[in-house]
Amino acid sequence: MGKVLLGRYVPGDSIVHRMDPRAKLILSFFFIVIIFLANNWQSYALLFALTIGSILAAKVNFAFFIKGVRPLIWLILFTVLLQIFFSSGGTVFWRWGPFNLSYYGLINGAYVFCRFVLIIFMSTLLTLTTAPLEIADALEKLMMPLKKIKVPVYEISLMLSIALRFVPTLMDETAKIMNAQRSRGVNFGEGSIMQQIKAVVPLLVPLFVSSFNRAEDLATAMEARGYRGGEGRTKYRVHYWQTGDTVGCAVFVAVLIILLFLRHW
Amino acid sequence: MAIIFKAVNYTYQPNTPFEQQALENISAEIPTGSYTALIGHTGSGKSTFLQHLNGLLRPTSGVIHVGKQIITPETKNKQLGELRKHVGIVFQFPEAQLFEETVIKDIAFAPKNFGKTEEEAETIARRMAQQVGLDDELLSKSPFELSGGQMRRVAIAGILAMEPEILVLDEPTAGLDPQGRLEIMEMFKRLKEEQNLTVVLVTHQMDDVAKYADNVIVLEKGKQIASGTPSEIFAQPNWLVEHHLALPKAGEFALEFEKKTGYKFATLPLTEVSLARQIASLLHGGGVHHG
Repeated sequence: MGKVLLGRYVPGDSIVHRMDPRAKLILSFFFIVIIFLANNWQSYALLFALTIGSILAAKVNFAFFIKGVRPLIWLILFTVLLQIFFSSGGTVFWRWGPFNLSYYGLINGAYVFCRFVLIIFMSTLLTLTTAPLEIADALEKLMMPLKKIKVPVYEISLMLSIALRFVPTLMDETAKIMNAQRSRGVNFGEGSIMQQIKAVVPLLVPLFVSSFNRAEDLATAMEARGYRGGEGRTKYRVHYWQTGDTVGCAVFVAVLIILLFLRHW
Repeated sequence: MAIIFKAVNYTYQPNTPFEQQALENISAEIPTGSYTALIGHTGSGKSTFLQHLNGLLRPTSGVIHVGKQIITPETKNKQLGELRKHVGIVFQFPEAQLFEETVIKDIAFAPKNFGKTEEEAETIARRMAQQVGLDDELLSKSPFELSGGQMRRVAIAGILAMEPEILVLDEPTAGLDPQGRLEIMEMFKRLKEEQNLTVVLVTHQMDDVAKYADNVIVLEKGKQIASGTPSEIFAQPNWLVEHHLALPKAGEFALEFEKKTGYKFATLPLTEVSLARQIASLLHGGGVHHG
């Protein structure tokens, strides 16, 4: 465990940390969408400038972002290589059976690499600067309009915040049970595939059982404290839309406009 | 099997922003056949210490000897399988590790993993179930049908079934009722005497430390701040308070008794038995001197 950096929150006090989580969530999605509009070097340079600007504004150690990319490096390399060897067009440098190495292939590979890095950087920035519960709050607020079409927004957001809250607890529990079973002679991640699958049973069964127990205890505790469903509840954590959020949105919209302009350079 | 720590350091997630040093330059010795209590505040590194005993964690630097086995930062996982056979760890709330369909199968799980045949493992499992006081009719039940206390016993039996030479107990009685507590602690004591086990006990119960242990190691913030016999450790009440520890109840009573009566005990009694004995001899010796 512990090695996963994506999804971890590092408390801090910067412009980005203080932003409304709704703004951060919308901007992250917005950013991922506009990445696909970029189609030349100038536009990628602009997006990189925006990303690095955001990272600097968040005052988060840059090493986090490099570490965020690392676990996905094989997926990225695989996709990039696929692009490089299977795209055709432009000058062909080398050809062997179905593979060919062309000018466009190289360019496309480089673009795909940039997209991956940008998406990972931006989503890492979102999770590093926003506590999980803030994200859940933001999703609840943003989903509110869906209530009109009978989507159970309260229930979904409650489940989401409970799920987020229990991720670290379950990770700890997993580590504990793994240690206990290793002490009883289970070797995780060793031997043939069948042996490895079998080794997971002593981990999964206790984890499920404890999740059931936990769910029951939690439900009882919630009822005992007067929980009767989402309708008519008030909120403890209230987020306000501030000037900083408007400025952030304005910057991103400006980037979109420049991007559209650069597309047709 | 003796356990020797030499200048052991352990750091969680080294070279990351979440780096955290849990053990700092620990040099400790747990002699063969001793009953060693490991005490200290929550977060003092006790659990990290325990996980070094059977190689679940390897030191970031330093050397650990467990019997003939030597654990260094470079030791490979494969070499540690043998060690785990000899060191049985009962983790906190060990009932969380039960998973088999029946109690007997769960107890037999560890011996089977360590190379015993199905029959041998089952024989051992039956014997261990008896040791921990589980009725025969429970053995074919699912472990999840049992009460909390019974599940705890099954889990402990599952560790004892490994027939370890070193038995490590991480708060084995946490959450049990007083009767269950006493029974389980007495059982460990009996097992230790019968099989000459080396026992390492992590606990916050100073009464248990005074009653059972013959060797105490005190950790604070990852450092070893004291070690010795219980009477050495409990000799300075002020030092204990400074380090967020406490005297056993008998000791506290004795101090209070000294304050009220002006009588001085020759040695501070730490268990009910020695307290009772000293007070009895005092009564025989003729009266309390009022001061």
